[in-house]
Order: sequence, then C-alpha cells, then structure tokens
Amino acid sequence: MDISYEDVVQFLFREAALLDQREYEAWLALLDEGIRYRMPVRVTRDFGESDDFIDDMTFFDETKRSLQTRVERFRTTSAWSENPPTRTRHIVSNIRVVNRERPDAVQVASYFLILRSIRDSSESAHIFGERVDTIHRVDGQLKLAERTIYLDQTVFPMLNLSIFI
Amino acid sequence: MADVPRLRRDVLLEVKAKIQQGVLPQWVFADPDVYRAEVHQIFAKTWNFLGHESEIPRPGDYVTRWIVHDPVLLLRDEQGEIQAYLNSCTHRGTKLCTADFGQRKTFTCPYHGWTFNLNGDLVGVIAGNKVYGQEMDRSQWSLRKLPRVASYQGMIFGSLNPDAPSLMSFLGDLKWYLDIMLGRSDGGMEVRGVPQRWIIHTNWKVSSDNFGGDPYHTAMTHRSTVELGISPKDPMYASYGHQVVLNHGHGINLITAKAGLNVPPYQGLPREMWPMFERNLTPAQRQVFEKTMIMVGTCFPNLSFVSPMHGTGGPDEPLTSFVNFRVWRPIGPAKIEITSWFMVDKQAPEAFKEASYLSYIGSFGPAGTLEQDDAEIWTRVVEASQGTMAQDKDVHYNNVLNYLMGLGRVEPDPTWPGPGIAYPTCYLDAISRAFYEHWIDALLAEQDTDVLVPNR
Ligand code: FES
Ligand SMILES: [Fe+2]
Repeated sequence: MDISYEDVVQFLFREAALLDQREYEAWLALLDEGIRYRMPVRVTRDFGESDDFIDDMTFFDETKRSLQTRVERFRTTSAWSENPPTRTRHIVSNIRVVNRERPDAVQVASYFLILRSIRDSSESAHIFGERVDTIHRVDGQLKLAERTIYLDQTVFPMLNLSIFI
Repeated sequence: MADVPRLRRDVLLEVKAKIQQGVLPQWVFADPDVYRAEVHQIFAKTWNFLGHESEIPRPGDYVTRWIVHDPVLLLRDEQGEIQAYLNSCTHRGTKLCTADFGQRKTFTCPYHGWTFNLNGDLVGVIAGNKVYGQEMDRSQWSLRKLPRVASYQGMIFGSLNPDAPSLMSFLGDLKWYLDIMLGRSDGGMEVRGVPQRWIIHTNWKVSSDNFGGDPYHTAMTHRSTVELGISPKDPMYASYGHQVVLNHGHGINLITAKAGLNVPPYQGLPREMWPMFERNLTPAQRQVFEKTMIMVGTCFPNLSFVSPMHGTGGPDEPLTSFVNFRVWRPIGPAKIEITSWFMVDKQAPEAFKEASYLSYIGSFGPAGTLEQDDAEIWTRVVEASQGTMAQDKDVHYNNVLNYLMGLGRVEPDPTWPGPGIAYPTCYLDAISRAFYEHWIDALLAEQDTDVLVPNR
C-alpha cells in the first residue's frame, strides 16, 4: 500500500508529540532497527562555497542502539540535564515529499522549530532547521529509517542537546 | 565614571590568602570587575589556543577564531608559514572575513574594498592613487599581526602580548604530558571536520577548573553512566592514579584503574600503534601512558583537554579512547562559548578513527551523555553566585567555597616518573588551589595597576 501524504503528516506529528511528552520508548518503537540518525555541524562558508554542513563532524551520529542508550540514561535518576525534565515543543511544518523511490518508502523534508523551557528560566532557547527523513513501511507499520537534521545555527545556542530532534 | 574598575588590591590580597587556606570567595564567579580585570591581566597577557595545524594544511587555508573579544584570522601564507591577524580591516575596522574556514589568496573588505593578501599586505585600494595620491604608504596599513604566534605538537597559540615568555616556557612541564596525547604517533594528530561550538551560561573558571582539577565530580555528576553500568559502581573510581600540579597554573589528572584490575594498556589503542609509542615517547612517558585510562586537565587559563575511554552502548560494549581539546571562551562574567576539537592520530587505523569519533560525540560535546550534565551543573553554579549574599566581598556569610580536599593530608609521590608535583590520588583539590593561586597572582600583577584601585 502506498504511503500517502496524510500518513506522513500523521507520523511526523505523532512523533513530535511523543518527544514532547517524553514517551521515549514509544518514540524508539517508531525507529527502524537500522536507523541512521545524524546531525552534521553547520558552518559559515565563503560565498559560492556550496556545502555548509560538515559531514565529518556531527552532534548526533546514532544507531538504534546508541539512541536506546540515550533513552535509558534519561530513565536513570541522575541524568541531571533532564532532571528535572526540560519542556519542549517540536513545531514541525512545511512537510513535503521530496522523493518516492518505492511505493513503500518516501523521503520527506520538514521544517522544525524547537522551543525549550529550562527550569524557571524566563529565556526560552530555540533551535530551528530542516530534517530530511526516509520513512518506510515494515510489516504494515511506518518506521523512520533515516533522519538527517540540518540546523540553521552554526553555534549551538543551548547549554546542551539532551533532547531529540 | 561608570567604567572605572572597583577591584581593590586589599580585597584581592584577601582572596589570595583565602585560596592558600583552601577556600575561594564565591563572588569571583560572577563579578563584572573581576571579568574586566581577567580580560586585561590574563587573556591579553597569556598564550591562547587558536587551532591545530591540520586545520590549515595548505597555503591559503584559513580559519577564523576568537581570543575572548578579539576576532582572529589564522592562516597559512604562500611560504607555508602560519600567520595570525586581527580580523579587522585597517581602514575603518570592519570584520574582514566572516567565514569559519576556507581557502583564499586575498581578503577583500566589503566596506570600501581594501584588499589584503596572505602576508597581510594591503594590495588593493579602490581608486587608490586618485584619492590618496602616490604618497600613500600602503605598508602602514597592513593587517595587524597578533604580536606572537607559535606552535607545539601541531597546536597553534597566539598571544596579544609582545612580551609574553616563549610558548615553550609557558607550556613548561605540561609539554611532557601533551607529548603523550599529541606526539605519541608518527605524524601527530589531525582534527576531524570542524570543532563543535556552543554556548553555556557559566563562568569560564568553573569549566576550566572542572576539567583541570575535579575528577571528584564524576561519581555524582555522571552517576547516570554508573546506573547504566558503563562506569564502575565504586565511588572512588575516578580517584585512582595521580593528580599532577604543573607550573603556570596548568594541571593534569592521569586516572588509572583500581590497582589489580586488568585494563588494556595505552587506553586500548590498537596494538599496531604501540611501536610508534616506542619511537616517539620516552620510557618514562610510556610507563605513565601504559597504565592510564583517562587524561584530563587544563592548560591555564582556558584550554582544557580530556582523553577518556567511553562507549555509546551498554555495559557490554567496548570502550574506545579519544582526544578532545576545548577552549572556554569567556564572553562576559556569566557566559562562555565552547569550541571543541576532536583529534585523532593521523596514523591510526581507519576503524579506530571512526570508533574514536563516535565515542567522542556520544560522551562529550553538547549532545554527549557526560557533557550534557556538566553544562547543566556549571550553569547552576553561576546562577546561584550572582546575588547579594554570594557577591558579598566582606565574607559576612562564610560565603567561601570549599577547595580543601587533601590540603595538608596528601603528600606528593616521590616515585612519579614525570615532571610536576604528583599526588597519588585524583580526588584532590591541589590543581584547583594552584589554578586559583596562579589566577589571583595574575590579577595582582604590578604591571597593569590601572585596572586596580589602590588600598584604602
Ligand atoms: S573598512 Fe574596510 S575598506 Fe573601509
Ligand atoms: Fe564532567
């Protein structure tokens, strides 16, 4: 069965809600066993130099196993960056299907704006950019097979990245 | 005049006396006058790390960096020499180069179009002769060079102080330990990709001192990794080994496993690399390196390094070592920008290079499972240091912080084969006390009394 635009939108919005609700085990269940989850570092280049993402250095270069370890860490009693938990809103928009190689797999680009509130600080940190995902169907279920996160900021503006994007 | 610093010499002398007693007044973490004095008396005087030679291998390669508030253009010129300039046009001061890195033969200012070559020479002036006449002496308007630039083991440092002692004497005994991290293999190290950069609301001394002298925090700050079974349950686990106090405010911890535990030699580095260690390190350096699991320390004032063994999986996954250097760039009393370089031996097997990189980004950097929690806690230190009680300089509330660990209780180990004063435990505040004593001496130095007001 083809993956419809409606399926993609529902998948991404549900994923965002799970992340904001810290339902990380349910979030992991959306990820394919072979997922590649990457976030290259962005830089400012000279005009005319096309590639301002550095593939060799990242903030995330994850497998399902390493993402699981990160989730397990948040479930300990002493992951202080998220203890007490920070509060996030994953605003996902401008969703578009950019490639449809097979009927059961789509490549999808979406914009993100993540607002994060930390303890009683009145300053809300935010990060924004674009994600390029491959979503495919495995045994009737949609799974995220690949995600590359393209941040717009070159200097990461938060004290840490103890959330998922 | 709002700008007149209010730091009093007698207050600083009192701080020095406190440090010698093993306590530090909390106000020094958030005082704007201390910050201003640090910029003048420390960062403008010392050697500051700018980058690694492998970031600019070819003529014309450049990177842009900061020394606190000074933008720096670091490049390799046509002759292959490393040059560092103030990244500011000599015409009206515009920031000249805004890219993080690149390759160029010239730099043209977008304001009026003055153009400079890799030697910093002013080689192009729009309508030059027509508006300035033949008599303009262009050599007067070259890019301003940093007064000093020098390298050690591929690490490029710059100083804004023409009278700074040589880099070699500044690094002093730290060189012996840098050799172990950076000079052990043929061809040295290379930076992978670019450094990560991020912002934390803390004071630069908090992070510098944490890396320099605080293995004690690991058991609690990083307890999540103990809960996960990645780090040992023994609360003393980061104490085994030696804390080495070096000259000029530098310090390093060489953490081993508990005596009797079997750990792989040389931080588990691949066996095929060991012959290089024989070639490049002395027997004494090898003796130390072979047993070490973690090296962590600070080159005063704000260049820190960590070379631990870490894994991205659970307790059964193998641990891989990496080398990471970072600058805690102060941008105000309560804000730093971190620039953090992952480095690996050029001659290491590719599989190791990849595993080492994954180990680094998994544990350090903004998303690192260890560093996430450091940043949270360093932020809290400064958040709680800004109020009237913490800022009180007359010490009404016993508002001094505790740096007493091991004071008068732990004697140096006379059998230590390396330089420096080596204590046989890493749960010790000896490096911190030396770091802050060096810091206060720099603020008290006679030459720049204009940032101090005299005793009353
Ligand atoms: S300020 Fe650079 S050319 Fe005028
Ligand atoms: Fe730490």
